[in-house]
Amino acid sequence: MGKVTNQAGRGNTPPRLSLERFLTWLRRHPEFGAFAGTVVVFIGFSITATRFLTPDSFAGILTVAAELGIVAAGITFLMISGEFDLSVGSVLGVAAMIFALTVKAGWPVLGSWIVALLASASIGLINGLIVTKTGIPSFITTLGAMMFWRGILLAVTKGFPIQFFPKTMPPMFFALNGRFVGQFRTSALWFLGIVLLINLILVRTRYGNAVYATGGNRDAARVLGVTTDRVKLINFVISAVLAGLAGCIQFARFLSIDPTRGVGLELEAIAAAVIGGTLLTGGAGNLVGTLFGVLLVGMVRSGLVQSGAPAYWYQAFVGLIVVVAVIVNTRLRRWALG
Amino acid sequence: MSDQPLVQMVKISKSFGTVQALKDVDFDVRRQEVMGLVGDNGAGKSTLIKILTGVYPPDSGEIYFEGKKVKVSSPKDARDLGIETVYQDLALIPLMSISRNFFLGREPVKQFGPVRLLDKRKMDETVKEVLAEIGIRVRSPDEEVAILSGGERQSVAIGRAVYFGAKLLILDEPTSALSIRETHKVLDYILEAKGRGLSIVFITHNIYHVYSVADRFTILEHGSKVAEFSKGEVSAEEIIEIIRSGHQVATDNNGGKS
Repeated sequence: MGKVTNQAGRGNTPPRLSLERFLTWLRRHPEFGAFAGTVVVFIGFSITATRFLTPDSFAGILTVAAELGIVAAGITFLMISGEFDLSVGSVLGVAAMIFALTVKAGWPVLGSWIVALLASASIGLINGLIVTKTGIPSFITTLGAMMFWRGILLAVTKGFPIQFFPKTMPPMFFALNGRFVGQFRTSALWFLGIVLLINLILVRTRYGNAVYATGGNRDAARVLGVTTDRVKLINFVISAVLAGLAGCIQFARFLSIDPTRGVGLELEAIAAAVIGGTLLTGGAGNLVGTLFGVLLVGMVRSGLVQSGAPAYWYQAFVGLIVVVAVIVNTRLRRWALG
Repeated sequence: MSDQPLVQMVKISKSFGTVQALKDVDFDVRRQEVMGLVGDNGAGKSTLIKILTGVYPPDSGEIYFEGKKVKVSSPKDARDLGIETVYQDLALIPLMSISRNFFLGREPVKQFGPVRLLDKRKMDETVKEVLAEIGIRVRSPDEEVAILSGGERQSVAIGRAVYFGAKLLILDEPTSALSIRETHKVLDYILEAKGRGLSIVFITHNIYHVYSVADRFTILEHGSKVAEFSKGEVSAEEIIEIIRSGHQVATDNNGGKS
């Protein structure tokens, strides 16, 4: 990830105590905590779970992490601009349902996919408009949206799952979530591409600067000429579209969708972002942190099962990690700022 | 008039609901002068400035910039005209790096095919130069603004305005949260900006701070202009007395001024 070269390679500063330099570096790289946590958990499970160090096991972790990660990437982007989206789990369900119903009705798969993403974008746009035009906190707005769209989903399907068993698998399904090497799925490539793209936008574009500024201090950003409402609106749409994409990808894996798909996902995604160093209050964070955050969550999920622990422990473990990660990140930050 | 003011605000009025914040206020700033805008809390100083910088639209009144009538409907409009504002708490964004703050909204970019990416090298080098000029020492322009003191933040924000070729610099309470030593640094830096040809509006409660650097003063009270003085005509104590009593006790100087 270029961490080590970054740390050593700032040639134009005079040599100083290496600890001090490391702290300075750490302050600017909160994702390091998630990286370290990932390494620790990885080593732990390598010892406790016998089949953990196998390609199939890695593929299993990636499959879980990629689908969660695509949602978490959008959430991270939105959280950095200072807003939440609790409706992503419902959006994922709605998008997957639209995708499933239209494909089943014989639509071309590409067309169905685009319609599902457009529907997601519309939900994101509505969320964003409500938040920016009325000033209602996004926590409330998207809590309402989460319940509303979940309710619509349940009402339309009457609670029954929808299945799709084609005679030949459409190529679009392979593109979305097929196995390309062994048990490794293309969803991991989608996730990686999205992480790289959003991180590039954040770190190296004007828009990225506007996103950090909007979340860091909205009033200051506004008087400095950043159109903060527009930034938020765009990020709400991106967050929803990525949730919808994750829904389509998940449907391409299961070939079935039940109307409770994605329940609780919003909190897992926020947890992954927070583990990765994204501030709940906005203004700081990055996608590399979220990448390690979802890997950590994915590893915990399959590692616990492989270690023979009952699956119930998964939530407790993730909860623990979130709190520890935030405490460590906050302490480190305060310590480093002196 | 040969010496045309840089900014002229004519008969500006503004109400918020039933509260009249400004009543027919005239305000002007000449070229390369420091104008002290003073008055008690709620006198209308901030409202007047927010109208000039496009945060609020006025209910009535006109604004002239460099002799031309202008409509300032957003902070970006103001910036494009060359009006740069440094707010006390909103000068910089603490969580962002110094160089990202410095160039916020005006980042230099390099074209790579269809995409434009930030020119990080240019950003960092410019910021290093500006920081060296101001006399702020940091390890790297990549450092967060959070490590800078209040005075350093004000100075960086002023340096930014100068760098981007502002013609009018508006400072909203730039010294109110600063130590004595830092206050003097910022006041020196204001004079330096003036020396480079900028006009400055200095909004404050602290008459002694503004008195040492201002050329003229405009005193607001309950949304109206109660007095306007050149520095030679009035002492700091007299200005304080006018603000304290809420009306002008000395002779009316307005006639020959504008």
